[in-house]
Amino acid sequence: MDDDMVFDPSLKKKKKKKTGFDMDAALAEQGESASMEAPVETGDVDVPEDDNLDLDNFGKKKKKKKKTFFNLEEIENALPETPPIEEPEPQEVEDIDDLDLDIDFSKTKKKKKKKNNLDEHVVEDDVKGEDQENVEDMHGDWVGSDRDYTYDELLERVFDIMREKNPSMVAGKKQKFIMRPPQVVRIGTKKTSFANFTEICKTLHRQPKHLLDFLLAELGTSGSVDGNSQLIIKGRFQQKQIENVLRRYIKEYVTCHTCRSPDTILQKDTRLFFLQCETCGSRCSVASIKSGFQAVTGKRAAIRAKTA
Amino acid sequence: MSIQNLNTFDPFADAIKSSEDDVQDGLVHVRIQQRSGRKTLTTVQGLSSEYDLKKIVRACKKEFACNGTVVEHPEYGEVLQLQGDQRENICQWLTKSGLVKPDQLKVHGF
Ligand SMILES: [Zn+2]
Repeated sequence: MDDDMVFDPSLKKKKKKKTGFDMDAALAEQGESASMEAPVETGDVDVPEDDNLDLDNFGKKKKKKKKTFFNLEEIENALPETPPIEEPEPQEVEDIDDLDLDIDFSKTKKKKKKKNNLDEHVVEDDVKGEDQENVEDMHGDWVGSDRDYTYDELLERVFDIMREKNPSMVAGKKQKFIMRPPQVVRIGTKKTSFANFTEICKTLHRQPKHLLDFLLAELGTSGSVDGNSQLIIKGRFQQKQIENVLRRYIKEYVTCHTCRSPDTILQKDTRLFFLQCETCGSRCSVASIKSGFQAVTGKRAAIRAKTA
Repeated sequence: MSIQNLNTFDPFADAIKSSEDDVQDGLVHVRIQQRSGRKTLTTVQGLSSEYDLKKIVRACKKEFACNGTVVEHPEYGEVLQLQGDQRENICQWLTKSGLVKPDQLKVHGF
């Protein structure tokens, strides 16, 4: 901290960099959130989405860091002649609160850099491979120098190592959850086809019968699987509606209620279904599927004729 | 072993029998069914038989400006039927009037 106080010019730079950094972070976030939502939509329950959010943050951190380096360079190039460049940018960005953590990290990093020779560092960073950027950068900052490392630096270091050693922690889980959206097409005016029903059962590792029972009970209608392994449902339904029901199905019958892992087995045991988790080993009973009360909606005359 | 325990004789079976499923899981199921065209029907199953469903349906009809009726079902007891998708409305109304706690409501459908 003392060092920083000495270098007045560097402080100024810091501020500018911060704003530039924010800009990019925001852009990165926008880009990511847009791209993320598309694949997750389908089958994902709320639960995994939470996971994804966390994962996103991890991803963001990385990206931001990468971008900061580019930014540093740009800004340094820009600094001598055009300091006001950053002025218009910060407004768009400052609203973002949830990035505080990251920003803090970047601040500390930047301070370090300023102590050393700025230009050198930037060049170095550019040369380094993208993935290793963070780690090496961390090491480079305090390993060589006499000063003590800070808590933030250590924290970041441990996270970097974790990410490096278990790429599956960040990406693997998410990929498991990516599911094709249900293909829902209207057949005539009164029926709906859920074309990839069997395929979705396979991705979820569930018996078609089980999912079928759930869908029909929830939608309060009837239907069956036809020769082309598509599900024909009575009534008009949109893809979004089917997706909603699927999401609830996955939440209740696919993902573990304890650890949210989708790696589970559904077992029937004395008329109760149990969800056995392969990841954490938990086993819990799940709600049985009941269609419950069904109101008479068809033509009463026809029903009367049938029963009479 | 635990399974065997489940199979033991339940001395209170008779007492629960009257409104079996609903009271047993203690939930009020709000469902939607499609009728012809864009028309839908909302059903409310599992309301306690201590309530006067006829009074409830009268209040709901007025409140939501829809028609409704009470249907007697051998297994599920008295069931409320309302025209249209009244799931949001009925859930709010039931919780606001204190008849059902929010965590007892189970909304089905799309
Ligand atoms: Zn688990």
